[in-house]
Amino acid sequence: MDALVVIALSVLTSIAILVLTSLGLAVVFGLMRIVNMAHGEFLMIGAFTTTVLVRSAGLSIWLAILCAPIVCALIGAVVEVAFIRSLYGKRLIDTLLVTFGLSLILYQIAIDIFGTASPGIGAPAGWVEIGRYSVSYYSLLLPVVALTITAALYLLFTRTRYGLLARAAAQNPEMASALGVEVRRVNLWTFVLGCALAGLGGGLLSPIVAVSPGVGQSYVGQAFMTVVTGGPAFLLGTLTASAVLGGVANVVSQLFTNLWGLTALLTVAIILVRALPDGLSGNWSRQL
Amino acid sequence: MTIPGSIRTLSRRGLLCPPLLVLAVLSLSPLLSTATELKWTLWLSFGILALSLTLVWGVAGIFSFGQNAFFGVGGYVFAVAALNFFPATGETLTALLVGACSAALFAALLGYVTFYGRVGDVYLAIVTLSVTLILYTVLSSTAGPEYRIGAAQLGGFNGMPSVPGISLGNGELSNRQLFAFAVCLAGALYALTRFLISGRYGQILAGLRENETRMELLGYDVRLHKLLVFVLGGGIAGLGGGLFAAWGTFINPAVFSLTQAALVAIWAMVGGRGSLPGAFVGVAVVQWISDQADKVIAQQTPLILGITLVATVLIFPGGIVPALANLLRRWQGALRIRTQSVAAPESGSVDAGAAPAETSGARGTLGAFAVAKRFGGSVVLDGVTLELGRDPVHAIIGPNGAGKSTLFGLLTGRHKVTQGRVELNGVDVTRAPIFKRARHGLGIKLQVPSLFPKLTVQQNVELALMAPRAGGQRPGSLTSILEMVGLVKKRDASAASLSHGEQQWLEIAMLVAQNPAVMLLDEPAAGMTQDERSRTVQLIRRLSANHTIVVVEHDMAFVRALDAPVAMLHQGRVFRHGGFNELSRDASVRAIYLGQQRAAEG
Repeated sequence: MDALVVIALSVLTSIAILVLTSLGLAVVFGLMRIVNMAHGEFLMIGAFTTTVLVRSAGLSIWLAILCAPIVCALIGAVVEVAFIRSLYGKRLIDTLLVTFGLSLILYQIAIDIFGTASPGIGAPAGWVEIGRYSVSYYSLLLPVVALTITAALYLLFTRTRYGLLARAAAQNPEMASALGVEVRRVNLWTFVLGCALAGLGGGLLSPIVAVSPGVGQSYVGQAFMTVVTGGPAFLLGTLTASAVLGGVANVVSQLFTNLWGLTALLTVAIILVRALPDGLSGNWSRQL
Repeated sequence: MTIPGSIRTLSRRGLLCPPLLVLAVLSLSPLLSTATELKWTLWLSFGILALSLTLVWGVAGIFSFGQNAFFGVGGYVFAVAALNFFPATGETLTALLVGACSAALFAALLGYVTFYGRVGDVYLAIVTLSVTLILYTVLSSTAGPEYRIGAAQLGGFNGMPSVPGISLGNGELSNRQLFAFAVCLAGALYALTRFLISGRYGQILAGLRENETRMELLGYDVRLHKLLVFVLGGGIAGLGGGLFAAWGTFINPAVFSLTQAALVAIWAMVGGRGSLPGAFVGVAVVQWISDQADKVIAQQTPLILGITLVATVLIFPGGIVPALANLLRRWQGALRIRTQSVAAPESGSVDAGAAPAETSGARGTLGAFAVAKRFGGSVVLDGVTLELGRDPVHAIIGPNGAGKSTLFGLLTGRHKVTQGRVELNGVDVTRAPIFKRARHGLGIKLQVPSLFPKLTVQQNVELALMAPRAGGQRPGSLTSILEMVGLVKKRDASAASLSHGEQQWLEIAMLVAQNPAVMLLDEPAAGMTQDERSRTVQLIRRLSANHTIVVVEHDMAFVRALDAPVAMLHQGRVFRHGGFNELSRDASVRAIYLGQQRAAEG
């Protein structure tokens, strides 16, 4: 019985990690059709921000985690103005290649600053006992945080003025512009939001993974598959896809090894994309 | 005069150049130092990888981020096979082939899932990249001794050392011999790809790249063609990977890394993404820059590559080889250098027979029987039965929202019926995809001209002439078709440069070339001048001698001029049948168009 509870909690944590690492990508791709190949690097920047602030500045881990999205938002703003802005309306492949180049640049800069490995920080808040097993409070916190962030984003996009403008500008930039919406500024905010979410995801991950300049690259593949499988409803679709893929990956990992878990994730994602080419949310009436 | 003729053919099909190049390079070989030979062998293996991307992306228009995945698979399988079998068989050529075939098979699997799933371009790029990254993670985790295949230890992050080199039977090749082998292999693959794209297949690939939808409407099995070229690209990349592993006697997961994936795209773009020689040129230039940069500031490769990639896309998207070719063309104005234009034999592939001015053939029938279509909750078509074919021309009209576009979509195969049956020439095509209907004699002209913009008028029609069809008459010759639509003088102009009306006629020319039994035209008069409209009416009348023509239209003057039976749709059903004059006199028809219906009902 305890074993089942612990397994279920482990599944929830895996799903939460997938959600947290994919949301930023979902916002930028789902809303603006920009493929941000540098998403992994923003995850990495967020993780490093938190780690460095805790180790060098002695900040409390919670504060350090909150700083991560701020740093990434600032860097994201620079990137958007300098590079992404000239790519709106161009071929998607061009955007992909440019952001790919950016990811390499950011990766190298990180190596130059931090070296190839980095000492990590431990998970805060201790452990809780469930029968014979102990589960860290932190890993229980992650699903709650993931759900909260998703709910907050949903409210942001449905209840706020920014949310409405962002969706309008994404769906029909010319018309939005004709109605007086400053599309450039709205797109900037959306991109910055996506980078901030990536940074937050990275920050939240930093206590439980090995933080190195390549950490983003290990998560970006899964994040992409999740977003693609999720389909056009970029929030709820990503949530559902994370649940399916994260669940499968976790269960397989526990039965065999992490290796097989990852392979299972990929296989299931590819099968789903084949079976439902518009994604899981392709036929839903909900657009978010 | 056969010898000069065959040389000309060889030259046209790109087969003269590669052997000459190979000979030239091999004759240089005694002058090169061992270090240079080693470096060039490596560059050749990279060049083969870049060539695979140029074929798949530049020529066929499929952007794959995963070519290095096939490269890696080829390398790893070669390593495993060679480690296991070389001690016994004494040769590793088989291992090289096995590696290439494994890569090709992997490409087949991936290609099947993505192309038959009708996944879009960007998704394909993402999926291929994700596959590459996940292979990287998977193979990096195989460090333990339990991860072995036969005698080959996978080695995890550190890779597989002591991989045998290439051996043709008596011992491994020396550096010089390996260089010669690499040159020959690269030359052969280059020749193969040039040969493929210079003929009919090249035209098909060009069509795929320019306008996939159009190809499908013409009856080409687009998914199969994409799959085949993707598998070929995978096999070529796999050969490169095997060569790479044999060159270094080593392979590790770094071949699957993000950096490597970026490199392939950079090589192709720098060299010129549609240019086959550009693949090798791109490798040479980028690797040279990378080596030089390494001497100045060590270990900054990702940074340099990143900057190169960003710069290439934003500033210099054409690439080197096409830019040089343009320069050459401008300096030597009289000398016409053919880059990708395909030889267009008048006789031969098109139609060797007589050249009748008209097409020949029997008119067909198209029928919708009680078709209904629901999108989510809304019912757009509610039981439409239309039998078209008794008269040469039919028109379908209806106010906005009547369901005309949806009906058109159901007849062409773009939408699936919720209920009912669609029959083409008596055959049930309700479940048939668009290209099958096209093959069975349905010609489709969409409202917005869907052409191959960068190809010439002639090349556009050629693709239509070459389209597969299941039986049916041979169409007229290319010239007579162009004459019929009045585009003979513009045969060498690019389709994008035509006026809107001319583009519509080009599409009609492509339809005629397809020679379908039934032609479905969606608003053929849209955007035309008065003059162009009357010419179109005449064209339709002329075509109706041999084809059944169904026109969906808004323009009432056009419909009247057609003088054909009219079916009017309203709220998802056929409201009236009859002649145009009959309908225009009918009070309820006028009420619907002029909005008096509500008043009459209320």
